[in-house]
Amino acid sequence: MTTSQSVFEAGEHITLAFELSTPTTVSLVCHSAYGTTIVTPNYDLADALFTLPENTSTKKGILDFKLISKGTSLYNGSINIIANTKNKTSLESYIGPPSISAGTHDYTMLVVVPTDSYDNPIANNTPVSIKHQFLDDQKEASIKTNDLMAWKTIHSDKKSGRILVSSTVNAVSSKEFAVEVFPSQPTNFTIDYHRKHTYADGNQITTFTTSVIKDTYGNTISDGTLVDFTIKNQNNSLLKTQGMSINGVATAFMLHPDHEEIWNVSAHINGMATSNTITINYKAVTEKLPVHFSNANRRISIGPLQSFMEQLIPDGAIVKLTITKNEQILETKLKTTANGMVSFDLEKGFYPPGTYSFIIEALGLTSIHSNIKL
Amino acid sequence: MKHRKNTYRTLLLSLFIGVNVLILFGIGQLFSYLNTGADRSSILHVTSPDAKVYLPKVIWENTNNPGRPIEKQSLASIQSDYLKAWYVKNIAYKNNDLYGIDDHYTQHARKNIVNHISDQKEKNISIEATTLNHNLSLDFYSLDGQLAVLTDKNSRQYQRLFKQDSLLLETEVVSSYKVVLLLEDGFWKIRHIVKQSNEPLVETTKPTPFSSVKNGQVFFENRPFQIKGINYYPQATPWDMFGKDFNTSIIAKDFDIIKKVHLNTIRIFVGYADFGKAEVIPEKLNKLEQILNLARVKDLKVIVTLFDFYGNYDVLDWTLTHRHAEQLVSRFKNHKAVLAWDIKNEPDLDFKTRNKTNVLAWLKEMATQIKTYDPNHLVTIGWSNTQVAHLLQENVDIVSFHYYEEISRFEKKYADLQSKTSKPLVLQEFGLSSNKGLWSPFGPSEKTQAEYYTTFKEMLDQQNVHYLPWTLYDFTQIPTSVVGKLPWRKHKQKHFGFIDENGNPKKAFQFFEE
Repeated sequence: MTTSQSVFEAGEHITLAFELSTPTTVSLVCHSAYGTTIVTPNYDLADALFTLPENTSTKKGILDFKLISKGTSLYNGSINIIANTKNKTSLESYIGPPSISAGTHDYTMLVVVPTDSYDNPIANNTPVSIKHQFLDDQKEASIKTNDLMAWKTIHSDKKSGRILVSSTVNAVSSKEFAVEVFPSQPTNFTIDYHRKHTYADGNQITTFTTSVIKDTYGNTISDGTLVDFTIKNQNNSLLKTQGMSINGVATAFMLHPDHEEIWNVSAHINGMATSNTITINYKAVTEKLPVHFSNANRRISIGPLQSFMEQLIPDGAIVKLTITKNEQILETKLKTTANGMVSFDLEKGFYPPGTYSFIIEALGLTSIHSNIKL
Repeated sequence: MKHRKNTYRTLLLSLFIGVNVLILFGIGQLFSYLNTGADRSSILHVTSPDAKVYLPKVIWENTNNPGRPIEKQSLASIQSDYLKAWYVKNIAYKNNDLYGIDDHYTQHARKNIVNHISDQKEKNISIEATTLNHNLSLDFYSLDGQLAVLTDKNSRQYQRLFKQDSLLLETEVVSSYKVVLLLEDGFWKIRHIVKQSNEPLVETTKPTPFSSVKNGQVFFENRPFQIKGINYYPQATPWDMFGKDFNTSIIAKDFDIIKKVHLNTIRIFVGYADFGKAEVIPEKLNKLEQILNLARVKDLKVIVTLFDFYGNYDVLDWTLTHRHAEQLVSRFKNHKAVLAWDIKNEPDLDFKTRNKTNVLAWLKEMATQIKTYDPNHLVTIGWSNTQVAHLLQENVDIVSFHYYEEISRFEKKYADLQSKTSKPLVLQEFGLSSNKGLWSPFGPSEKTQAEYYTTFKEMLDQQNVHYLPWTLYDFTQIPTSVVGKLPWRKHKQKHFGFIDENGNPKKAFQFFEE
């Protein structure tokens, strides 16, 4: 081999020359990272000159070659092709995960794979400058490429917000990457309620709201955090409602009860935070439950039902009629009020003449009528 | 007139029905054509089973990396995709076709392969290649699990270069690489691969093998060992020794017979497909172990012939056969009943159909592989005749050959072979079928067979030849895969034994008794 140069730059015109002791047909087998190539020579007197094809001469790495003639190897050697330094560098950067949580324990990672103009990773120990900006803070760090790439971890701060990251190698800059810093876990909070009046009219709505929920570091929790409200009534039954947070405040609604009631309400964010418990009293709207029998006692009219200001109760209040005979319940009828009134008709076919008892329940009130003859 | 009217009517009706049938058939065909095509779930890459097509030896040397700890499953998928990247590249350069490259190289990296292929096409070159091992270490694994950097150290690669379909060069290359992989569309794809300089190999100290060869002499545990053996199949299960009729008590009795006539070695056969190809079936290995244990108890040595009924030799099939050999020989590397691993029975018979270069290259690499996994025992190849037995003599410890030709020419042929090699020679198969009968009225009788052996014996004793005649038993059933379907061939193969179908010693049995 007469070529003495053993290090070439990618993209360079690479010619390897061999002096042949006896004129013979030779070819050069080149092993590179992506594959093997066979090169045929130009002869210059006793020299065989091999010009490497572009697919081989532009790829970084060790290139092993064998000079062969008739299936046997005459000479083995290798050259080193290094990344091109003259042309512009290009950058590939990857960042992940794209969102992290506030506090100093969570972090994201930027990986930069700078390449030369022939898509070769550039030399080890090339400095890469990484800049990142968060709120009023802007930082710059310089790292060096190793194992074909460079990487840096970026930790979150105590505040939530957005980190912008960019990198620069050999005066070529990457585009901007954004990493969202979400608030950390919510802390305990308080709840409150609002209602139009204190009556159990089964019509108005009570609104529950939370205080502004914050994470450990004082950041308002992310919008859309689900808050569950649990209501325990006097029967120890649980009612549930929920709301999503906006600007740290979650709002949920519940229809007033239709009878006198005491609610104990608390809220929680599943597995993370809870609130205090509040107690809400609802007053009965009326003490009166007028009942009127007509049509030979076969029509039972209830009403007019009046609310707290003697206005007619809104349509839809539930009235329950239980019919018994000889202490046996025959039927329970349910109807809702219209214009404060409800009437039940008892057909002869279903209720043959006899003595019946009726229990009428509405708005938490009960009225009992025994031994009514039909 | 009326007759003709009826004929017309019938004709018209059948024509009408016929046309309708054709139209319906046409619509049906069109409909079924429109319904063919890939299953939509295939887009997700979730249903494809992990086919075992490429299994070079992979060793993870180090997976500690500064990025983040890697989970076993991710490491397995990186390994599997990295190997597949090599596999599809090997196929691409063999066929000059880009099939599968998209799945294992990113858009930018792919260009390099496209360039290589167009260069190869222009020069009319194709390359058959396979990597044989990968020593991997994980240099970096990114926090989000989307990027990995590997080092593949001193990976051996076998290559065969063809120009205009004629072999230009057969070569082995050892290369090291740094590789950047990206997780894209569910595949770990190669983004960069850069060839590095190799690390110097660390010489490991060689263990002292049980069986060895010194100055043309076979030694077992440092004592000279003269092979006086026999090829062995149980009488009821020829060519199916490890099947469902496997019975150690029968084999033990046979070993007693063999031992009684002062033989010291048997040769048995392990089928490549029978033992489960690349994933060796543990049950079969256990059966083989039972046989070897029995042999150890009876103080018999065993020559185990591997790869029986294997016939592919294709470069891309190599790694699968390597895994087969690895699992087999490494299991028994410390077993003192094993004398030698016989790589394959009569591989020269495949020279014509499977290409001599292919077969020889496969054997040569297999010898290296077996020695890697079991340095304790001898390696040999059971050549079918003396003319080819000198091939690959550098790669084996003992040279084995078979002899079914004219007895008179044996001495000459043996001398010829002896002049070509200094390794011990083993006459691994010889014999004569006493198949005189319906299918061969002029064939040798039992008496002729006995005379054949007497004559042979004199020669063998004179020259101190290691020998194993074919075979202990006459058989009643010969599988078609052994000698084909022709009845006279099967008939011949049934009568090579020293003991007849009924278990009585034939006249030739006196060969052992002196």
